[in-house]
Amino acid sequence: MAKGRAAVTSRPFRLGREALLLVALIVLCTIFSLQSEFFLTERNFTTILRNSVDLAVICAAMTIIIILGGIDVSVGGVLAVSAVIIGRAYQMGMPDWVVVPMGLATGAVLGALNGVIIARTRVPPIVATLGTMYIYIAVLFLVIGGVWISGLPNTLSFLVLGEFAGLPAGIYVIGVTYLFSWLLLRRTPWGQRVVAIGCDELSARLVGIPVEKTKIQAYALIGLFAGVAAVLYVARLRNVEVNIGTNIALEAIAATILGGANIRGGVGSLIGALMGVLFIKMTQNGLVLIGVSSLWETVVIGALLIIVLVIDALGERRTR
Amino acid sequence: MKDPLTQRLWFLFGLLIAAGVAGTLLSEHFLKASTVGFLLQYVPVLGVLGLAQTLIMLSGGPGIDLSIGATMSLAGLAIAALFTAGVPLVLACVVGLAVGAALGAVNAVLICVLQVPSLMATLATFFAYSGLALALTGGSPIGGLPDWFAVLAQGRFLGIPVHMWVVFVPLAIVLHVMLAHTRVGSHIYAAGNDERAAFLAGVKVWRLRFGLYVLSGVIAGIAAIMTLSWFQAARPDAGDGMELLSVTIAVLGGTHIFGGIGRISGTVLAVLIVTTLQVAFQLANISQAWQLAAIGILLIGSVVADNAVGDRLRQRMARPRG
Repeated sequence: MAKGRAAVTSRPFRLGREALLLVALIVLCTIFSLQSEFFLTERNFTTILRNSVDLAVICAAMTIIIILGGIDVSVGGVLAVSAVIIGRAYQMGMPDWVVVPMGLATGAVLGALNGVIIARTRVPPIVATLGTMYIYIAVLFLVIGGVWISGLPNTLSFLVLGEFAGLPAGIYVIGVTYLFSWLLLRRTPWGQRVVAIGCDELSARLVGIPVEKTKIQAYALIGLFAGVAAVLYVARLRNVEVNIGTNIALEAIAATILGGANIRGGVGSLIGALMGVLFIKMTQNGLVLIGVSSLWETVVIGALLIIVLVIDALGERRTR
Repeated sequence: MKDPLTQRLWFLFGLLIAAGVAGTLLSEHFLKASTVGFLLQYVPVLGVLGLAQTLIMLSGGPGIDLSIGATMSLAGLAIAALFTAGVPLVLACVVGLAVGAALGAVNAVLICVLQVPSLMATLATFFAYSGLALALTGGSPIGGLPDWFAVLAQGRFLGIPVHMWVVFVPLAIVLHVMLAHTRVGSHIYAAGNDERAAFLAGVKVWRLRFGLYVLSGVIAGIAAIMTLSWFQAARPDAGDGMELLSVTIAVLGGTHIFGGIGRISGTVLAVLIVTTLQVAFQLANISQAWQLAAIGILLIGSVVADNAVGDRLRQRMARPRG
């Protein structure tokens, strides 16, 4: 014990993951703005923000799931099914106040289904959500029938594209989502239960925490957030593509891990995850602006993830 | 028959027959001799990846290789690029296997030396490798391979594709013998069952896993060679979706995702089941969506069945012998 403490105090100062990410974001911005005069403009930042909204919303819930010690690779599928149901509902001429709750409910139900499979049948989360991912994508194909749904109404577009009090609307959406998630995670008994299960599921069970129930609720929450992301997606693009949501699960996991979450559970940071999202989206945007093919963006994200994992691993070694 | 693992194999065998019956009912073209060759055409590439995934999972950790498909794409591109640059094809293939091994070694260093969880490490390398495959080629395939090379994956011997004869079946047999009858095999099971006990018994657990991740890269290289021969071109997205499909096959075949339980024969049956379903649906002209749904349900269902098998195994072990 004393040895571990000595190792920690021997480090002169401890940079938090958030501070590290902030530095990385600033460095990234500097590089891009030196290469392209269009990068550091208000208009471009609004664009980056608009493109980040769906991923940011999903990442808030993904952080909670990873803290719980789980993972959800089916969020893309949930997003896709919610979006296609929203699209079909709009096509049938339903008004916003019917369509939006329908989309959210679809997401929450599909998420809860994941939760039930994981909690009740003890299928590991990665396998269970992999399986439901296939099923949800099948549902998408069956409903959409291989043709884009397009020309949807723009009544909700203000949620992403609009402006309130001089700031882009996306900021408020992200702000509300993250404030809600933070309060839930850090200021409620439910959030404490999530952390406890993520740290040590067996002990959590022994002290009487309803592990199954909490897990189902958490997966329902990420489903709900995927539903929110679907509403925002349709509001922003006013169409539903055939390959909607294919990469978003892996991007969300990457952003969450970049933000300091530990896949073994118990540890994670909402603000870090949000910065991870900004990092990914800024890279995608900046590479295009400086004339590098957008095909390189996955390489950059992958390389960055590897670097972060190596730094973490070396840090863990030193404190061990 | 009483052994739960053998029961599981019979269950898979039943599933395979059920898939065959479904195929016969769905399409009049299914029950023909030509279907066998057509069906087996799809087996080896997915099959060898499933075998690699089985080994990784068996050795525990928990182990998983999400980068296996991307490794396959990159190895294929390396071979095709070397060949168009004038390197003899056979030499290029050897280099391709080395590229696979090197990419696997990156995973191995991250997982076994730095102790990064395999899911995260291979997710990161999945991004890096698949991104590199797209970025280095600009998204376009590299073609122009010689016609004789097509013999490997397009030729038939006794109605069965050549790559079944020379790659998949021998590899499956070698790996089966390795797992069932050699010391390395029992070390793999030991590491997967109880890492600590295996370590205390003198098994070099992490060195063993290191080797398996490298082997997984080499097998991805083998899969790349077969795909090259089949399509006569290296596509940057050749391995897309293979990572998840190979995990599906390993798990469906009865490999426990946390290691220690599983057999090569299960994985082989699982490949045949998935391929039979795919071909049956294709022949019956049923939307690809149903095929995805069937795979998803099979995947979850097989793990639920597996948990039951695991429970019975544990009860058996708890019971005093004799």
